[in-house]
Amino acid sequence: MTGLTALVERVILGTIRDRDLLLAILVPVGTYVGFNFALQHLIDTGGMSYAQYVLPAVIVQAILLGALTTADRANRDQSTGFGVRLQTLPIPAAAPLIARMTYCLLRGLIVVVAAAAAGFVFGFRMNAGIGYALAFVVLALALTLGLSLGADAMGTRIKQSDASSQLLLIPQLLLVLLSSGMAPVESFPGWVQGFVRYQPVSQVTETLRAFTEGHVALGNLSISLLWCIGLIAAFGYLAVRVQRHAR
Amino acid sequence: MTAASPARADGAPFVAASLALAGRQFTRWRRHPAVPIQGILFPTFLLVTYHLLVSKSMMELTGANSLYGLVPVCAVAGGMFGALGAALTIPQERDCGLLARFWTLPVHRASALTGRLIAEATRTFLGSVLITLVGVAFGLRFQSWTAVVPFLLVPVLVVVVFATIVISVALHSGGATMFTWLGMGSVALVFGNAGVAPLELFPAWMRTLVHYQPMSPTIDVMKQLSLGGPYLGSLIAMVAWAVAVAAIFGPLAVHRYRGVTGA
Repeated sequence: MTGLTALVERVILGTIRDRDLLLAILVPVGTYVGFNFALQHLIDTGGMSYAQYVLPAVIVQAILLGALTTADRANRDQSTGFGVRLQTLPIPAAAPLIARMTYCLLRGLIVVVAAAAAGFVFGFRMNAGIGYALAFVVLALALTLGLSLGADAMGTRIKQSDASSQLLLIPQLLLVLLSSGMAPVESFPGWVQGFVRYQPVSQVTETLRAFTEGHVALGNLSISLLWCIGLIAAFGYLAVRVQRHAR
Repeated sequence: MTAASPARADGAPFVAASLALAGRQFTRWRRHPAVPIQGILFPTFLLVTYHLLVSKSMMELTGANSLYGLVPVCAVAGGMFGALGAALTIPQERDCGLLARFWTLPVHRASALTGRLIAEATRTFLGSVLITLVGVAFGLRFQSWTAVVPFLLVPVLVVVVFATIVISVALHSGGATMFTWLGMGSVALVFGNAGVAPLELFPAWMRTLVHYQPMSPTIDVMKQLSLGGPYLGSLIAMVAWAVAVAAIFGPLAVHRYRGVTGA
């Protein structure tokens, strides 16, 4: 067994114990069922059923929430001195980071599968075939990786508290509820439509939804890809740097 | 309880001890603001964002202003989230022996519990005031302004009763898993009611459940208080629920407090 697999196993066992892995299933299923019951007859999504419409937003919401626990986990490794101990072992310096990111991608995959399984019951379908379905998963995982790298860097660097995790829920709430992932832009009051239209969660959920139907708009796709690649590049750089300088 | 009687006779008056322990909670929340963020700031933002999300659709579909349901939901939800967050420190305080130390002080035996409940009530009241003010800023209006006081006191009643459940669970040594379920259950109850979406919009098989669950009459009382409608039926249902829950979990919380202190 290499150092990396041992570290991945350690993260997974830890998250089974602190129920993060369970939440990766319960959060998307719970929010999906909740949004459907509360909003399915309320929001006019044209020809598409609300169950089909809202699923990408549920996935993005679960990924954003997962980033918070990622930050907590990185912070715990750092504040307990475990990260420093690992630096004395004959393993690549990036191995602990890669192990945590491997777990995050696994978690992201579980979120997508759990949401899709719940979606299936409510009538959500991948209508455009296996190629688009794969693109759907890859984009969701790319977003997961970008946000997880950022969360990991933040958790490693900044002394966190319960209060800061709670505080970070608020921008999340704004980004998810005020996005075209929840309702078409026209159903928001005029003065917030600009924000709703251009903010990243709207862009990414639109691309994900396009993948379910197979009608991808090139402009929207490139904006989503730019966001994901940009997040991965910027936060990846930060995360690696922070690892190196972590005491 | 017989051994405790002398302490009660000589100890600080019940009210003063309760207030001191309530003040301790507030000091903690000021220094580590996770609870006020969770119980006051978050529901305020939830109100604003959810209102922006559904207001136009709700108006087109039912002609009703969604604020009259959302303000009560967010006020009650905020209080409940806050109660859950506040109780997270209980297992730690139990394990490090702080609760047992409080028990050795010459104070009234019930003051540990009443102190917590007073803090819960005060925080919920302040949160409800803020959320109602934001609601008013977005266009919530009271038919009669005398209804404002009972309107603000409904969440306080609900959260104090709910806190007895939360505290009972948190004091229990194996409570961690139950705590997660309690949190999820309360989220489902507070958002799965007629305040968030009209009852007709729920699937048929759920309507009975939604109609009779404890949060529905609570939200309806607040809604009718602001709209000036009849609320006697809902009020009776709400009070019946509150009395039933308090009758079970009030004594249980007291019993568990005594249990953890080894008395």
